[in-house]
Amino acid sequence: MSNSIMDFLQWLNDSPMAETIRDSVWIFPALETVHVIAIVIVVGSIMRLDLRLAGLVWRSRPVTEVSDEMLPYTWISFVIATIFGLLLFASKPIVYLQMPFFDVKMILIILAGLNMLLFQHVTFKGVAKWDRSPFPPTAVRFAGSLSLAFWVSVVICGRLIGFV
Amino acid sequence: MFDALSQWLTQTQLSAFLADTTHLSTWLIIPLSQCIHILAVAVVMISVAVLNLHLLGIGGTRQTFAQLARQLIPWVWAALFVLFFTGTLQTIAEPGRELLNIGFRVKMAMVVLTATITLIYQITIRKDPNYWEFSPQRRQTGRMLATLSLVLWVGIAALGRLIAYVDTRTDI
Repeated sequence: MSNSIMDFLQWLNDSPMAETIRDSVWIFPALETVHVIAIVIVVGSIMRLDLRLAGLVWRSRPVTEVSDEMLPYTWISFVIATIFGLLLFASKPIVYLQMPFFDVKMILIILAGLNMLLFQHVTFKGVAKWDRSPFPPTAVRFAGSLSLAFWVSVVICGRLIGFV
Repeated sequence: MFDALSQWLTQTQLSAFLADTTHLSTWLIIPLSQCIHILAVAVVMISVAVLNLHLLGIGGTRQTFAQLARQLIPWVWAALFVLFFTGTLQTIAEPGRELLNIGFRVKMAMVVLTATITLIYQITIRKDPNYWEFSPQRRQTGRMLATLSLVLWVGIAALGRLIAYVDTRTDI
Protein backbone atom coordinates (compact mmCIF):
# COMPACT_ATOMS: atom_id res chain seq x y z
CA MET A 1 0.00 0.00 0.00
CA SER A 2 1.15 3.51 -0.76
CA ASN A 3 3.20 5.26 1.88
CA SER A 4 0.95 8.26 2.32
CA ILE A 5 -2.04 6.04 3.17
CA MET A 6 0.06 4.09 5.66
CA ASP A 7 1.34 7.36 7.15
CA PHE A 8 -2.22 8.59 7.51
CA LEU A 9 -3.36 5.36 9.19
CA GLN A 10 -0.38 5.48 11.53
CA TRP A 11 -1.23 9.09 12.38
CA LEU A 12 -4.85 8.07 13.00
CA ASN A 13 -3.71 5.15 15.14
CA ASP A 14 -1.56 7.47 17.28
CA SER A 15 -4.18 10.22 17.53
CA PRO A 16 -5.57 11.12 20.99
CA MET A 17 -9.06 10.03 19.87
CA ALA A 18 -7.88 6.53 18.90
CA GLU A 19 -5.97 6.29 22.15
CA THR A 20 -9.04 7.29 24.16
CA ILE A 21 -11.16 4.60 22.46
CA ARG A 22 -8.46 1.96 23.00
CA ASP A 23 -7.83 2.82 26.63
CA SER A 24 -11.43 2.95 27.79
CA VAL A 25 -13.23 -0.20 28.91
CA TRP A 26 -16.63 1.03 27.83
CA ILE A 27 -16.22 3.34 24.80
CA PHE A 28 -15.49 0.56 22.29
CA PRO A 29 -18.43 -1.67 23.38
CA ALA A 30 -20.73 1.38 23.39
CA LEU A 31 -19.69 2.43 19.86
CA GLU A 32 -20.04 -1.17 18.72
CA THR A 33 -23.56 -1.42 20.16
CA VAL A 34 -24.75 1.66 18.24
CA HIS A 35 -22.98 0.38 15.10
CA VAL A 36 -24.70 -3.03 15.31
CA ILE A 37 -28.18 -1.58 15.94
CA ALA A 38 -27.75 0.78 12.96
CA ILE A 39 -26.50 -2.10 10.76
CA VAL A 40 -29.48 -4.34 11.53
CA ILE A 41 -31.84 -1.51 10.54
CA VAL A 42 -29.86 -0.92 7.30
CA VAL A 43 -29.99 -4.60 6.42
CA GLY A 44 -33.55 -5.19 7.62
CA SER A 45 -34.94 -2.26 5.61
CA ILE A 46 -32.97 -2.98 2.44
CA MET A 47 -33.87 -6.67 2.74
CA ARG A 48 -37.56 -5.82 2.78
CA LEU A 49 -37.22 -3.75 -0.41
CA ASP A 50 -34.98 -6.35 -2.06
CA LEU A 51 -37.49 -9.11 -1.36
CA ARG A 52 -40.21 -7.03 -3.00
CA LEU A 53 -37.96 -6.23 -5.99
CA ALA A 54 -37.19 -9.92 -6.31
CA GLY A 55 -40.93 -10.58 -6.45
CA LEU A 56 -40.84 -12.87 -3.43
CA VAL A 57 -43.11 -11.06 -0.94
CA TRP A 58 -45.77 -8.34 -0.65
CA ARG A 59 -46.52 -8.78 -4.35
CA SER A 60 -49.77 -6.82 -4.12
CA ARG A 61 -47.98 -3.65 -2.94
CA PRO A 62 -46.49 -1.16 -5.41
CA VAL A 63 -42.69 -1.26 -5.39
CA THR A 64 -42.50 2.53 -4.92
CA GLU A 65 -44.70 2.30 -1.82
CA VAL A 66 -42.31 -0.22 -0.22
CA SER A 67 -39.25 1.80 -1.25
CA ASP A 68 -40.74 5.07 0.08
CA GLU A 69 -41.46 3.29 3.34
CA MET A 70 -38.02 1.67 3.68
CA LEU A 71 -35.38 3.98 2.18
CA PRO A 72 -35.53 6.67 4.91
CA TYR A 73 -34.69 3.93 7.44
CA THR A 74 -31.90 2.65 5.21
CA TRP A 75 -30.22 6.02 4.70
CA ILE A 76 -30.49 7.38 8.24
CA SER A 77 -29.17 4.19 9.77
CA PHE A 78 -26.48 3.82 7.08
CA VAL A 79 -25.08 7.25 8.03
CA ILE A 80 -25.11 6.29 11.74
CA ALA A 81 -23.52 2.89 11.06
CA THR A 82 -20.78 4.53 8.95
CA ILE A 83 -19.92 7.20 11.53
CA PHE A 84 -19.71 4.69 14.38
CA GLY A 85 -17.94 2.16 12.15
CA LEU A 86 -15.27 4.77 11.31
CA LEU A 87 -14.75 5.45 15.03
CA LEU A 88 -14.29 1.72 15.66
CA PHE A 89 -11.89 1.54 12.70
CA ALA A 90 -9.95 4.55 14.01
CA SER A 91 -9.13 2.70 17.24
CA LYS A 92 -6.97 0.12 15.38
CA PRO A 93 -6.85 1.11 11.69
CA ILE A 94 -3.80 -0.91 10.66
CA VAL A 95 -4.95 -4.03 12.52
CA TYR A 96 -8.36 -3.90 10.83
CA LEU A 97 -6.93 -3.32 7.39
CA GLN A 98 -4.87 -6.48 7.75
CA MET A 99 -7.95 -8.58 8.54
CA PRO A 100 -9.27 -10.36 5.42
CA PHE A 101 -12.90 -10.22 6.62
CA PHE A 102 -12.64 -6.46 7.12
CA ASP A 103 -11.27 -5.90 3.61
CA VAL A 104 -13.90 -8.17 2.05
CA LYS A 105 -16.63 -6.36 4.03
CA MET A 106 -15.50 -2.97 2.68
CA ILE A 107 -15.37 -4.29 -0.90
CA LEU A 108 -18.87 -5.76 -0.48
CA ILE A 109 -20.25 -2.43 0.79
CA ILE A 110 -18.75 -0.67 -2.26
CA LEU A 111 -20.26 -3.32 -4.57
CA ALA A 112 -23.65 -3.00 -2.86
CA GLY A 113 -23.44 0.80 -3.30
CA LEU A 114 -22.52 0.50 -7.00
CA ASN A 115 -25.40 -1.93 -7.51
CA MET A 116 -27.75 0.55 -5.87
CA LEU A 117 -26.46 3.49 -7.98
CA LEU A 118 -26.82 1.50 -11.18
CA PHE A 119 -30.28 0.36 -10.15
CA GLN A 120 -31.46 3.84 -9.20
CA HIS A 121 -30.14 5.58 -12.31
CA VAL A 122 -30.84 2.93 -14.93
CA THR A 123 -33.29 0.19 -13.99
CA PHE A 124 -35.50 2.23 -11.63
CA LYS A 125 -36.15 4.82 -14.39
CA GLY A 126 -38.78 2.52 -15.87
CA VAL A 127 -40.51 1.82 -12.54
CA ALA A 128 -43.88 3.12 -13.80
CA LYS A 129 -44.10 0.09 -16.09
CA TRP A 130 -43.60 -2.52 -13.33
CA ASP A 131 -44.49 -0.70 -10.10
CA ARG A 132 -47.61 -2.80 -9.54
CA SER A 133 -46.39 -5.95 -11.16
CA PRO A 134 -46.12 -8.90 -8.72
CA PHE A 135 -43.05 -10.13 -10.62
CA PRO A 136 -40.87 -7.22 -11.77
CA PRO A 137 -38.71 -7.71 -14.92
CA THR A 138 -35.67 -9.98 -14.72
CA ALA A 139 -33.19 -7.07 -14.43
CA VAL A 140 -35.07 -5.72 -11.39
CA ARG A 141 -35.38 -9.10 -9.71
CA PHE A 142 -31.68 -9.67 -10.37
CA ALA A 143 -30.70 -6.30 -8.85
CA GLY A 144 -32.82 -7.04 -5.77
CA SER A 145 -31.35 -10.52 -5.30
CA LEU A 146 -27.80 -9.23 -5.81
CA SER A 147 -28.33 -6.49 -3.22
CA LEU A 148 -29.71 -9.04 -0.76
CA ALA A 149 -26.68 -11.29 -1.29
CA PHE A 150 -24.25 -8.38 -0.82
CA TRP A 151 -25.83 -7.18 2.43
CA VAL A 152 -26.16 -10.66 3.95
CA SER A 153 -22.46 -11.14 3.17
CA VAL A 154 -21.61 -7.77 4.76
CA VAL A 155 -23.29 -8.91 8.00
CA ILE A 156 -21.47 -12.27 7.91
CA CYS A 157 -18.07 -10.61 7.36
CA GLY A 158 -18.84 -8.09 10.10
CA ARG A 159 -19.60 -10.85 12.59
CA LEU A 160 -16.54 -12.86 11.58
CA ILE A 161 -14.18 -9.86 12.11
CA GLY A 162 -14.77 -10.50 15.82
CA PHE A 163 -13.41 -14.04 15.54
CA VAL A 164 -10.08 -13.24 13.90
CA MET B 1 -31.87 -22.72 38.93
CA PHE B 2 -29.60 -21.03 36.35
CA ASP B 3 -26.53 -22.45 38.07
CA ALA B 4 -27.88 -26.00 38.00
CA LEU B 5 -29.00 -25.69 34.38
CA SER B 6 -25.66 -24.26 33.35
CA GLN B 7 -23.79 -27.03 35.14
CA TRP B 8 -25.96 -29.73 33.63
CA LEU B 9 -25.63 -28.27 30.10
CA THR B 10 -21.86 -28.06 30.41
CA GLN B 11 -21.75 -31.80 31.04
CA THR B 12 -23.85 -32.75 28.00
CA GLN B 13 -22.20 -34.26 24.93
CA LEU B 14 -23.78 -31.64 22.67
CA SER B 15 -22.16 -28.84 24.66
CA ALA B 16 -18.78 -30.57 24.49
CA PHE B 17 -19.23 -31.08 20.74
CA LEU B 18 -20.14 -27.43 20.12
CA ALA B 19 -17.39 -26.14 22.39
CA ASP B 20 -14.75 -28.21 20.59
CA THR B 21 -13.08 -25.66 18.33
CA THR B 22 -10.21 -27.87 17.23
CA HIS B 23 -11.91 -28.95 14.01
CA LEU B 24 -13.00 -26.49 11.36
CA SER B 25 -16.39 -28.19 10.95
CA THR B 26 -17.35 -27.81 14.61
CA TRP B 27 -15.64 -24.43 14.95
CA LEU B 28 -17.85 -23.07 12.15
CA ILE B 29 -21.20 -23.95 13.78
CA ILE B 30 -21.29 -21.16 16.37
CA PRO B 31 -20.05 -18.29 14.14
CA LEU B 32 -22.58 -19.36 11.48
CA SER B 33 -25.32 -19.55 14.08
CA GLN B 34 -24.40 -16.02 15.22
CA CYS B 35 -24.58 -14.73 11.63
CA ILE B 36 -28.07 -16.21 11.19
CA HIS B 37 -29.00 -14.78 14.61
CA ILE B 38 -28.00 -11.23 13.54
CA LEU B 39 -29.87 -11.51 10.23
CA ALA B 40 -33.00 -12.57 12.14
CA VAL B 41 -32.46 -9.59 14.47
CA ALA B 42 -32.46 -7.38 11.34
CA VAL B 43 -35.86 -8.78 10.32
CA VAL B 44 -37.32 -8.24 13.80
CA MET B 45 -35.89 -4.76 14.31
CA ILE B 46 -37.11 -3.24 11.03
CA SER B 47 -40.55 -4.82 11.52
CA VAL B 48 -41.02 -3.53 15.06
CA ALA B 49 -39.52 -0.15 14.13
CA VAL B 50 -42.10 0.34 11.34
CA LEU B 51 -45.00 -0.87 13.53
CA ASN B 52 -44.18 1.09 16.66
CA LEU B 53 -43.18 4.30 14.86
CA HIS B 54 -46.50 4.12 13.01
CA LEU B 55 -48.34 4.05 16.34
CA LEU B 56 -46.26 7.07 17.37
CA GLY B 57 -47.31 8.84 14.17
CA ILE B 58 -43.79 8.79 12.67
CA GLY B 59 -42.66 7.23 9.39
CA GLY B 60 -44.85 8.23 6.48
CA THR B 61 -46.63 5.23 5.04
CA ARG B 62 -49.88 4.97 3.16
CA GLN B 63 -50.71 1.77 5.04
CA THR B 64 -52.94 1.53 8.10
CA PHE B 65 -51.62 0.03 11.32
CA ALA B 66 -53.71 -3.11 10.77
CA GLN B 67 -52.33 -3.56 7.23
CA LEU B 68 -48.76 -3.13 8.47
CA ALA B 69 -49.36 -5.48 11.39
CA ARG B 70 -50.76 -8.20 9.13
CA GLN B 71 -47.73 -7.90 6.85
CA LEU B 72 -45.05 -7.64 9.48
CA ILE B 73 -46.06 -9.56 12.61
CA PRO B 74 -45.77 -13.01 10.94
CA TRP B 75 -42.15 -12.05 10.12
CA VAL B 76 -41.56 -11.10 13.75
CA TRP B 77 -42.74 -14.53 14.93
CA ALA B 78 -40.76 -16.37 12.25
CA ALA B 79 -37.61 -14.42 13.11
CA LEU B 80 -38.15 -14.96 16.86
CA PHE B 81 -38.35 -18.69 16.19
CA VAL B 82 -35.01 -18.57 14.33
CA LEU B 83 -33.56 -16.43 17.16
CA PHE B 84 -34.74 -18.91 19.76
CA PHE B 85 -33.20 -21.84 17.86
CA THR B 86 -29.82 -20.20 17.15
CA GLY B 87 -29.76 -18.62 20.62
CA THR B 88 -30.37 -21.98 22.27
CA LEU B 89 -27.54 -23.52 20.24
CA GLN B 90 -25.19 -20.73 21.35
CA THR B 91 -26.27 -21.17 24.96
CA ILE B 92 -25.60 -24.92 24.85
CA ALA B 93 -22.13 -24.23 23.44
CA GLU B 94 -21.26 -21.81 26.26
CA PRO B 95 -23.82 -22.23 29.09
CA GLY B 96 -21.93 -20.18 31.68
CA ARG B 97 -21.36 -17.22 29.34
CA GLU B 98 -25.13 -16.83 28.90
CA LEU B 99 -27.03 -18.34 31.83
CA LEU B 100 -24.79 -16.91 34.55
CA ASN B 101 -24.75 -13.50 32.87
CA ILE B 102 -27.03 -10.83 34.31
CA GLY B 103 -27.20 -9.17 30.86
CA PHE B 104 -28.56 -12.39 29.35
CA ARG B 105 -31.23 -12.79 32.04
CA VAL B 106 -32.43 -9.20 31.67
CA LYS B 107 -32.46 -9.64 27.89
CA MET B 108 -34.67 -12.74 28.14
CA ALA B 109 -37.14 -10.93 30.43
CA MET B 110 -37.28 -8.08 27.90
CA VAL B 111 -37.92 -10.54 25.05
CA VAL B 112 -40.92 -11.95 26.93
CA LEU B 113 -42.32 -8.42 27.40
CA THR B 114 -41.87 -7.37 23.77
CA ALA B 115 -43.36 -10.65 22.54
CA THR B 116 -46.37 -9.95 24.76
CA ILE B 117 -46.80 -6.46 23.29
CA THR B 118 -46.59 -7.94 19.78
CA LEU B 119 -49.26 -10.48 20.72
CA ILE B 120 -51.46 -7.67 22.07
CA TYR B 121 -51.14 -5.85 18.71
CA GLN B 122 -52.07 -9.01 16.84
CA ILE B 123 -55.10 -9.87 18.99
CA THR B 124 -56.50 -6.32 19.09
CA ILE B 125 -56.35 -5.71 15.33
CA ARG B 126 -57.94 -9.09 14.71
CA LYS B 127 -60.85 -7.95 16.87
CA ASP B 128 -61.02 -4.52 15.26
CA PRO B 129 -58.64 -3.24 12.52
CA ASN B 130 -59.11 0.32 13.80
CA TYR B 131 -58.62 -0.66 17.43
CA TRP B 132 -55.71 1.74 18.03
CA GLU B 133 -57.35 4.66 16.24
CA PHE B 134 -60.75 4.21 17.93
CA SER B 135 -60.49 6.93 20.61
CA PRO B 136 -57.98 9.45 22.00
CA GLN B 137 -57.49 7.13 25.01
CA ARG B 138 -56.69 4.18 22.74
CA ARG B 139 -54.25 6.32 20.74
CA GLN B 140 -52.60 7.37 23.99
CA THR B 141 -52.28 3.75 25.15
CA GLY B 142 -50.94 2.83 21.71
CA ARG B 143 -48.24 5.49 21.95
CA MET B 144 -47.24 4.27 25.40
CA LEU B 145 -47.05 0.64 24.30
CA ALA B 146 -45.10 1.63 21.18
CA THR B 147 -42.57 3.65 23.19
CA LEU B 148 -42.13 0.82 25.68
CA SER B 149 -41.74 -1.72 22.89
CA LEU B 150 -39.12 0.39 21.05
CA VAL B 151 -37.10 1.03 24.21
CA LEU B 152 -37.20 -2.69 25.07
CA TRP B 153 -36.15 -3.79 21.56
CA VAL B 154 -33.21 -1.38 21.50
CA GLY B 155 -32.28 -2.68 24.96
CA ILE B 156 -32.49 -6.28 23.76
CA ALA B 157 -30.22 -5.56 20.79
CA ALA B 158 -27.79 -3.61 22.99
CA LEU B 159 -27.60 -6.38 25.60
CA GLY B 160 -27.14 -8.92 22.80
CA ARG B 161 -23.92 -7.16 21.91
CA LEU B 162 -22.90 -6.29 25.47
CA ILE B 163 -23.27 -9.81 26.94
CA ALA B 164 -19.84 -10.48 25.47
CA TYR B 165 -18.40 -7.73 27.68
CA VAL B 166 -20.26 -8.43 30.93
CA ASP B 167 -18.34 -10.50 33.43
CA THR B 168 -19.96 -13.77 34.27
CA ARG B 169 -19.63 -15.46 37.62
CA THR B 170 -16.88 -18.01 37.51
CA ASP B 171 -17.17 -19.29 41.08
CA ILE B 172 -19.19 -22.38 40.26
